Amino acid sequence: MVKETSSTSLKKKRKTPSADNEGDLDIYKKVVDFEEKESASRQGAVDANIYFEMCQDIKATLAEMYESKCKKPTDTSTNKELLTDICLKLCVIRKLNRVDKIKHVFGKETLSTEKQKCDSIKLSYQNLVYELHHLVAETNKCLSFKSKDEDIELVSFEEFMKEAPESLTKKFINYDKSNTEENHNLRLARLEWELTQRKNLAELCKSLEEDKKKLGKDLVERKEKLNTLKPLLMNIINATKPLQEHLDVPFDQLRAEHKLAFLLPDPLYIFYVNIISYKNVYELNLNVSIKGDQDDATRWKEAQETTKESQNDDESEQEADIPEVEEVVEVKKRRHRKSVQQVDPMEEKRTKLLEAHPLFVEITAELERGPSITAAFRYYTKLKIITVTSKVNLPSNMTANTARDILSSENILGELCEGDVGVESPNPATQFQLKKSRHQFISLPGAPNRLCLQMGAGSLRYRVGSDKAGGVNIETVVKILFTRLAARNDLANQLQQFEQSIIPKLPSTIDLPTNPVSALTKWSSITYQKFCQSLVTQPLVEEEIVSPSDLFYSCTLTRGNANLQALIAIKNNYPEALPIFSLSLDYNGVQHSTNSDEIRDMERAVNVTWEHGQKGSSWLLSAQISHLCSCLDVYLESVDPKAFCQSAMFLRNICARNRKRPFKFRKVGTGIFTQY
Amino acid sequence: MVNKLNKAFYNTVLSQTFSPCGNYIVVGDIYGVLSVFHLSKIVQPQTSLSPEELAPKNRVTVKEDFQINSLITAQNHIIVGGVGEIYAYLWKNLRNTKSAHPVWTIEIPDQKDAFDKPDVNCLLFVEESGHLYAGCGNNKIYVFNIETRRILKTLVKHTDYVHCITNNGDDLLSGGEDGVVNIWDIRSFKVTHKIEPFKDDKVSRANLGKWIGAVSANDDYVLCGGGPRLSMWHYRFLTNSTVFPIDDNGIHVAEIFNDKIFAGGRSKYFYQMSFVGDIISEIPTSAVTTYSAIHQEEPFLVLSIAGSSPKIDICSNFMYRNQQLSLY
Repeated sequence: MVKETSSTSLKKKRKTPSADNEGDLDIYKKVVDFEEKESASRQGAVDANIYFEMCQDIKATLAEMYESKCKKPTDTSTNKELLTDICLKLCVIRKLNRVDKIKHVFGKETLSTEKQKCDSIKLSYQNLVYELHHLVAETNKCLSFKSKDEDIELVSFEEFMKEAPESLTKKFINYDKSNTEENHNLRLARLEWELTQRKNLAELCKSLEEDKKKLGKDLVERKEKLNTLKPLLMNIINATKPLQEHLDVPFDQLRAEHKLAFLLPDPLYIFYVNIISYKNVYELNLNVSIKGDQDDATRWKEAQETTKESQNDDESEQEADIPEVEEVVEVKKRRHRKSVQQVDPMEEKRTKLLEAHPLFVEITAELERGPSITAAFRYYTKLKIITVTSKVNLPSNMTANTARDILSSENILGELCEGDVGVESPNPATQFQLKKSRHQFISLPGAPNRLCLQMGAGSLRYRVGSDKAGGVNIETVVKILFTRLAARNDLANQLQQFEQSIIPKLPSTIDLPTNPVSALTKWSSITYQKFCQSLVTQPLVEEEIVSPSDLFYSCTLTRGNANLQALIAIKNNYPEALPIFSLSLDYNGVQHSTNSDEIRDMERAVNVTWEHGQKGSSWLLSAQISHLCSCLDVYLESVDPKAFCQSAMFLRNICARNRKRPFKFRKVGTGIFTQY
Repeated sequence: MVNKLNKAFYNTVLSQTFSPCGNYIVVGDIYGVLSVFHLSKIVQPQTSLSPEELAPKNRVTVKEDFQINSLITAQNHIIVGGVGEIYAYLWKNLRNTKSAHPVWTIEIPDQKDAFDKPDVNCLLFVEESGHLYAGCGNNKIYVFNIETRRILKTLVKHTDYVHCITNNGDDLLSGGEDGVVNIWDIRSFKVTHKIEPFKDDKVSRANLGKWIGAVSANDDYVLCGGGPRLSMWHYRFLTNSTVFPIDDNGIHVAEIFNDKIFAGGRSKYFYQMSFVGDIISEIPTSAVTTYSAIHQEEPFLVLSIAGSSPKIDICSNFMYRNQQLSLY
């Protein structure tokens, strides 16, 4: 069977060239078709078997040939037969190969067509997916869409219902929130209403602006009219001048001063205004005037304004910071160039820092039949403090040196409030400013001023705190000024008499012994150094009960051969703070408070037991001295009754463990001295 | 304010006493104020002391401007000798309350008028008998029963006011402005002996007066001083044995303590001496005149010296000043 099939196939093979020979053009195609058919119809497994059989046959034939060649090498005929057989069989194998190849091609072709089909399907699916995505995105876009109308601020629903015309609103009287259709309609209606309203408002705005323009024009016109009025008025004023002079009305003067006041720096201006008004209300014996160079002041003011403007222009420029930085640089530079530079920039800076405003306020307060005090208030523009200098005009009847001193001395305005001796600035910044320029506060050049006491501080606070009138107001300042002046005057009157060794008569209301035997014999003023040098005053100085700003005096009381020297420190705020006596008795050896309890007791009696406040100013010092005289009497009489005949009345000359002397005076009958 | 400072500056302390517990000290000044200091904190400081801690912890005004002459501690009371009156305060009230009131007072009898009230210059409390002795400005020594506050006896012998009293066994010694030291027998309240130092040439100082400012005694000796020099007398023979060579202008404090002698007065120093007159220590005082010096050993060793100064010197070893209390 194998042979058969192989033979048929061989026949067919051979046939094809013959057909080709017939000249048919389609022969090749036919062959191809045939071969294709053939290969399709044949089964692979059968072909394989044929192939193996052929191979087997060829092997067997070759073996046969080998045998025959070995037996009869010369016999070639059989060999030839066998060789052809082998050739034939090889042809069969070749055919099989061809069939197989074609079959293979066919398989491949089907595979590729199937593959193509598959691909096209996949592509269509992908398209569908893409479309889906696109559609989803579009829906999202739609969902997230926002109309511009949502940003428009609409009038509220309630307002809309109330104000809009009925044609618009009546649909929504039974407005249901859940109904989206209605919701939308409502929105449209509201938008429409909004539009009409806005249009109306825009129109109104336009009309108002026009009005404004008109008014502006009007204003300009009127201003022009007023300007033309000014020279007219000036003419009138000039015309009234002779009349003013004739009637002695100082309108002009006042006007000039007010004009000057305008040029004052802010703190002084506030001070000035306050004091003027205070004076006008209370009709005090007070003169207030502004002194100084007007032109300079004008220039200063202008300079001030321009700097202010420039500061406004450049906000980042901070006054405090920038100079400081410059300063540092400057200092460094200076170190290098010190030998070269002639003018010390520091010095320049210093003078600039200590520059006072060209104008100052001068107050003159006058006591009846007494001295008057002139206080000049200056403003230091850089330090931002007010200083005061005072001058006292003495009345002609004040002749004693000590009395004149006490009034004319610089410290008459010292320690207006406790602890303020005028060497420290009330403005805390000053300290740093001065430190920056390496300057001592006390040695302000050309300014023998008591640096701004409470007055300055007070008015400064006015300026800084602008509307809150905290701290000291002008009323207290003026009152202090007057009481201080009065107290000083009283003190001076007393000193005047002391210098003539007279103890002034005391008012009868004070319980003090009259007619002491001991008498004032000497009165003089001393310096703080001299006061400190005395052995007697050591404890007082150590305890800082006295200070260098106080006034110091020395007086001597005498009775017989006993001399009592008293060193007196009078505080600036006399009589609120008592004058302090420091005693030393020269009798049977020198006795004083550091070696004798009796003298200490005496000091206590004189220094402690007076509490009269301000009203005692006219007699307090005299009372103390008078009391001291009686104490001396008591002491001498109780210690040595034989040498000093008794003038003072006392019950016991000594009592208690501390052997107390009766220094306390009681107004019983003619007066009696007791220990308690 | 300024004037108040002056007043404080001229303050004088006349008397001091320790609290019953010993941790506090109470001082009385001439303005009638009792000031309480927390002494244990000051003597044994944990850290360095601030000025506030050296100032009084509490102040009580007994009677304004009437000086407090004497102070003693008796049981739980602080007994104050003022002017014309003796006041007793409960210690616990005094320690904390500003407005403490006396729990009882005794008025000194025999007062002529308002200006001449006798000072209660010295107080002495004898615990065994419950007697309170008060040496007064009217030359008398009163003996009170502390429970009933009645006068048991009035001792009248001095011709001028009494400066100081002390006791030794059954004897009571008193020194007065008249210059006499009287030795009383407290069983009979009679003067058994008397010493008159101003009559001794070695001792007397005419310029200072004859007054006796301080008396102290042990079984063998009597120590006294004042206007006359500080001197030691034999108890039995009443003869002068030692005159102490110290530089003073009047003795106000003198005490025999163990085998030493403390003395102070108008002098720059507070002295500690041996019986033969050798000076052991000189403590400089802030006061012009020392009026009071008290000491204790329990709960801690301390000596406090006060006088005519607002400062009080504290010595924790009796040799030099450790701290200075201030009344203001």
